[in-house]
Amino acid sequence: MNIPQDLKYTKTHEWVKIEGNKATIGITDFAQHEITDVVHVELPENGKNVKKAQPTAVIESVKSAFDIYSPLTGKITAVNEEALGDPGLINQDPYGKGFLFTVEFSDNNELSDLLSAEDYKQLI
Amino acid sequence: MDYTPQNKQDRQKMLEALGIKSEDELFDAIPADVRAKHLNISGNQTEQELLKYFKNLAAKNKTLTSFRGAGIYDHFIPSLVSEVTSRSEFWTAYTPYQAEASQGTLQAIFEYQSMICALTGMDTSNASLYDGATAVAEAALLAMRVSGKNRILISSGVHPEYIKTVKTYLQNLDVKIVLLDISPNGSIEKATVDAALDDNTAAVIVQSPNYFGVVENMQVLSSAAKENNVLFTAVVNPLSLAVFQAPGEYGADIAVGEGQPLGIPASAGGANIGFMAVRKGLEWKMPGRIVGQTIDKNGKRGFVLTLQSREQHIRREKATSNICTNASLNALAACVYLSGWGNEGLKKLADTNMSKAGYAFHKIKNIDGFKAKFENSIFFNEFVIETTKNIKKIDKNLIKNGILGPLDLSNHGKQFKNCLLFCVTEQRTKSEIDKLIELLAKA
Amino acid sequence: MEKLLNELSSECKAAYEINCDMETDVSIPDHLKRKSDLGLPNAAENDLLRHFTNLSRKNYALSTAFYPLGSCTMKYNPLINERIAKFESFNMAHPYQPAETMQGILEIMHGLERDLCEVSGMDAFSLQPAAGAHGEFAGLLIIAAHFKAIKEKRHKIIVPDSAHGTNPASAAFAGYETIPLKSEPDGSIDIEKLKEVLTKDVAAIMLTVPNTLGVFEKEIVEISKVCHENGTLLYYDGANLNALMGFARPGDLGFDVMHINLHKTFSSPHGGGGPGSGPVGVKSFLEQFLPVPRVEKKDEKYVLNYKKSKTIGSVKAFMGNFPVILRAYIYIKALGGDGLKNVSAQAVLNANYMLAKFKDKIAVPAGGRCMHEFVLSPKAANGIRTLDIAKRLLDYGYYAPTVYFPLIVEEAMMIEPTETESKETLDKFIEILNKIIFEEAVNEPQKVKDAPVNTPVARLNEVEAARKPTLKWK
Repeated sequence: MNIPQDLKYTKTHEWVKIEGNKATIGITDFAQHEITDVVHVELPENGKNVKKAQPTAVIESVKSAFDIYSPLTGKITAVNEEALGDPGLINQDPYGKGFLFTVEFSDNNELSDLLSAEDYKQLI
Repeated sequence: MDYTPQNKQDRQKMLEALGIKSEDELFDAIPADVRAKHLNISGNQTEQELLKYFKNLAAKNKTLTSFRGAGIYDHFIPSLVSEVTSRSEFWTAYTPYQAEASQGTLQAIFEYQSMICALTGMDTSNASLYDGATAVAEAALLAMRVSGKNRILISSGVHPEYIKTVKTYLQNLDVKIVLLDISPNGSIEKATVDAALDDNTAAVIVQSPNYFGVVENMQVLSSAAKENNVLFTAVVNPLSLAVFQAPGEYGADIAVGEGQPLGIPASAGGANIGFMAVRKGLEWKMPGRIVGQTIDKNGKRGFVLTLQSREQHIRREKATSNICTNASLNALAACVYLSGWGNEGLKKLADTNMSKAGYAFHKIKNIDGFKAKFENSIFFNEFVIETTKNIKKIDKNLIKNGILGPLDLSNHGKQFKNCLLFCVTEQRTKSEIDKLIELLAKA
Repeated sequence: MEKLLNELSSECKAAYEINCDMETDVSIPDHLKRKSDLGLPNAAENDLLRHFTNLSRKNYALSTAFYPLGSCTMKYNPLINERIAKFESFNMAHPYQPAETMQGILEIMHGLERDLCEVSGMDAFSLQPAAGAHGEFAGLLIIAAHFKAIKEKRHKIIVPDSAHGTNPASAAFAGYETIPLKSEPDGSIDIEKLKEVLTKDVAAIMLTVPNTLGVFEKEIVEISKVCHENGTLLYYDGANLNALMGFARPGDLGFDVMHINLHKTFSSPHGGGGPGSGPVGVKSFLEQFLPVPRVEKKDEKYVLNYKKSKTIGSVKAFMGNFPVILRAYIYIKALGGDGLKNVSAQAVLNANYMLAKFKDKIAVPAGGRCMHEFVLSPKAANGIRTLDIAKRLLDYGYYAPTVYFPLIVEEAMMIEPTETESKETLDKFIEILNKIIFEEAVNEPQKVKDAPVNTPVARLNEVEAARKPTLKWK
């Protein structure tokens, strides 16, 4: 299972890449395996305000649907339009072309709740 | 009769296999004090006895020559429709969960979806809903889900039972339903829609032909909604679309309606079929089942239920709807019905409805004591006539002559006092219409 | 491969024709006229009959084979029902024709309501809902109307995690928040766990009895007591009523509201997924809220009453799915009270007989006894999954049992034989299922994974179907 060292993680299987005050978010390799073939994604609107631990996106396989929670409070600044048209990207490249959205986060304190790659590895 | 095939010996063998003396022991978990007593229900009739019993009950209904529509129409049903829907491979099958063993039902629904799209000019149809009324209610819910807004504008020309159903469906949700008045010419004016629109409006719902038979100017109303980013929902009679502008042509976001005119018997108002078709982009938000085309592992074409993560068995409380059934057998009927007319045939059928209704309209409005309610409006196969005569007496006299006359609209508010809603389909012959006219003239 | 209708379409004469015996000038103004092509196929009657007959032969149906689909009660659909349902005076009736011209129809509806009350122990029924989930939705609106009338604010509904997906979905659409209740491994309710979530804002609990694992809820009387003391109502999901007729009545068990699936327990056919009928029944204190119109008997005449001041309204147009209602009534008149009791006895005997043949070899999460259905958790050799077994059953001509439901059982396979199958049919199916799990999965696993091979198509690509949806003719 691929768990890149330079990313942060959540207990609900999202990964977070911090760059300045922006965080890019996707689901982990482990999560895409469990979900199996992704057939549809619902992403938030650009500019929308989101809260930590609030359902923000939905990922759907043939027989299930999964809520994706924003790990941080803030404003959506980008969503992965390409994945909307080609949801298989989430399976093929969960940490790259299969990212979900970017949040400009407003509360630095929330960062301390994120897990390290080691912690996440323990979790799964 | 009870349709259990086991004989005594088999039953005994089964009990022995379980090591029990009687089936009663299998119900031991039911506490003694809440056990059912003898069920006081008559029955135990053979097939022969049942036939007699129900012939007697059937004889208590009168089969009448109908000039009544108001949501349920007397159209001719070609023999092919009942032949196909009577095939037990269709009517005794369940919902097509195991696709490989249900290709018949699945392909028929796919074809139904295709023809509903063709007829409405919309992009995606679902596999059908319960009826026209619930389809309108589901359309309102869909619009709220898509827009995140909670105000619904609905024309008072929508079938009153549909409006009632919408109100029932939405009664516990945070939503405001606003009724749009129809003008003295029987239709919705653009100004009425404009005045009612606001930032919080999710949908404008308009029926055409409306409950009073009047064909609305849907293009203008649809544009009014769309200029304000509001979803336009068209409630349409599918047969009328052979000749009148289709929802897809005037930019509707959602098209719904009652599919009963498409080869389904009136059956006292049920079982019906609601159809729903949407423009591209709304398919993942749509309620109900959807059939899609795919290939099997050998590359052969096949059909499956698809976009299923919208549905209740997966999404539970987050599903797009709680319904899990469609009106599959009626979708099959509609599919067979539409497939046999061809483009020209269906147009001629619609024209025939208009010709016959038009003939009746011109004759009736010229009878003493009768006049057109909406003189210059365009209608399909229904129209309203105002009368100075005693409506109850007319109704009784027509029934006596084997005719189900027009519907009394007196309950629809002041505007429709002394008004009658007539329906004339292709089923009515000239002599039947002439007889109606003769009886009305004598009233 | 069967052609699609648009591929079949040709320049031939269309199947149907219409003659118009009058010409009237009815021109449509240009701005209201349809401009685009209709896009319907053009095909002769002969070709269409072949097309649809060939399609029908691609269906497995109750009339072709055993259909052990758990939770769906695929019992025999008596042919006499179909014969009577074709009577012209039933299917030509208009819903708005005067009551005095449809006394037969109203008498049947009234009679069915009365018989459903007797079977269920409820006091009144409305036949309007068009399916089980629809009846459920109506029932929840009735519950909401009740609490509104007594001015109590309750916004939660408890639904066990073993329940049908329609329960939480219906609750959400009726405006309620769903509180999931974790059930025990056999699907039953632990009273202590129930008490933890049974707060003052809980309007109702929705229960399926027997539950979806086929087990009768032993503590039902206590559950009823605890809930009612809290002012909480009990909703009965009628999907499993075929287990109880003549043995226990939901009304006597403490339920206040319920629905019945006429297309399950009362033999109306499923039609490939509808139309069905889901009458909603209530105890007398809730009768005033039932949807309209109600069928009433006055001076030996039946009338339709649309005017009930406390009604929740209408959940669909008109009276209900009459053709389905009619078939259910014919069925009841064939059986009578004793016949119905015999149905449940035989349905439960059939299920237990089958279960007994499996329980020593295959994991059964709910124990060795069941009501009308049971759930297996087959973990076959070589990584063969329940889905594979289900598909392999298709090769033997059987429809598959319900799979992966209830959600609380791993690799669930839910079998409901119903009362209308003979011992020979059951024995043969038991033999085949054992053969797949204990011989084929062990010795020829690839054969099972490749199944089905005897069906009109092999396993279909559902992922591509959803990723790149093709939802109509191209």
